[in-house]
Amino acid sequence: MASSDAYDLTLEATQFSPSVSTDWEQGCLRMSGESYPENTYEFFAQVIAWTERFLNATADPLTLELHLSYLNTSSIRAMIDIFDLLQDASSEGKEVSVRWLYDNRNPRASELGEEFKEDYTFPFDIVALDVAS
Amino acid sequence: MNPASDSLASLRDFFSGQRILICFNGPISRTLIGEIGIALKDHISSTQVHQSAAMDVFSVYIEMSQNIRHYASRMGYDDLSAAATVVIAETDGGHYTVSAGNLVERQDGEVLLKKIRELSLLDKIELKALYKQQLRLPREAGQPSGAGLGLIEMARKSSAPLQATLDEGPEGKVFFSLRAVI
Repeated sequence: MASSDAYDLTLEATQFSPSVSTDWEQGCLRMSGESYPENTYEFFAQVIAWTERFLNATADPLTLELHLSYLNTSSIRAMIDIFDLLQDASSEGKEVSVRWLYDNRNPRASELGEEFKEDYTFPFDIVALDVAS
Repeated sequence: MNPASDSLASLRDFFSGQRILICFNGPISRTLIGEIGIALKDHISSTQVHQSAAMDVFSVYIEMSQNIRHYASRMGYDDLSAAATVVIAETDGGHYTVSAGNLVERQDGEVLLKKIRELSLLDKIELKALYKQQLRLPREAGQPSGAGLGLIEMARKSSAPLQATLDEGPEGKVFFSLRAVI
C-alpha cells in the first residue's frame, strides 16, 4: 500500500548509538549496536517518529528487527515508548512483531529482551545468533 | 632521585596492590566516558568466557558516570566541580567493584543516601518490580534521564547492596561516593 507519508530513515551507528535503517515497503525497522547516548530523547525521537508515521499511515505489517547488545536505562525507557506504540497498533488488529537478536556469548542481551517481552502481547521472538568465539 | 617519578612509582604500587584496572580523576567528558567504557569491556571480555561480567561492569559504570554528567550539567557546575573520580577494580572470587564519586549539594547527597539505603533492603525480585514500576513513571521535567532508575539498575546488577558515603567538600558541598560490587 503506497502512501505519500512513506519515507525511510537511515542512521549510521556511533560509539554511543546503534545503526537504524527502515524499509517502508517491507514494513521493517532495524536497529543494531549499543545505545547509551547522553541525549537519549534526541536520538530516539527520530525512531519513534518513523514508527508512529508508519503505524498511522498504513495497516501493513511492521516488524522491528533489533540486535542491541547494550541499552542504558534511558534507552530502555525510549524502547518502551516504541513497544507501547506497537502494543496499541496490535490492539487495533494490526500485525506487528519484534525479532530480538542477540549474540550467544552475551546472555545479558537475551535477558534484556525477555524483560521487554513479558510486558507485551504481540509476537516477540528472541533469537540467538551463534557467534564464533 | 626524582620526587615526581618516585611518587608516581608509589602510586603505581598502590594501584597494583588494590588491583585497580582503570581509574580516573578529573573533568569527565562524554567521549572519555565512552573510551574508558570500551577499554573496560574489552579488558574484562578478554579474561572471561562469557560477556556477562563485562556487560554488568560496563552497565554499572555507564549509569554511574552518566548520572554524574547529568547532575553536573543540571546544576550548571564548572569543570572543577563537575569532576568525577572513577575507580574500577578486581576483587576476590572473580568480582569487580565499580566506584564513582562527585561533588553534590548536601541536600541532594542526603536524598541519594536515603534512596540507596532503601534499595539495600530489597531482594532481586523486589528490585525488578520497582524497576518495572519506575520505567513507566512519567519523566520529570528537567530530568532527561531516569535518576532513580539508574540506581535500581546498578542494584540489580550488583552481587551485594550498593554502598554510599558523604564526605565534607568545599563551599558547603559534599563528596558523594557510590560503590557497587559486581
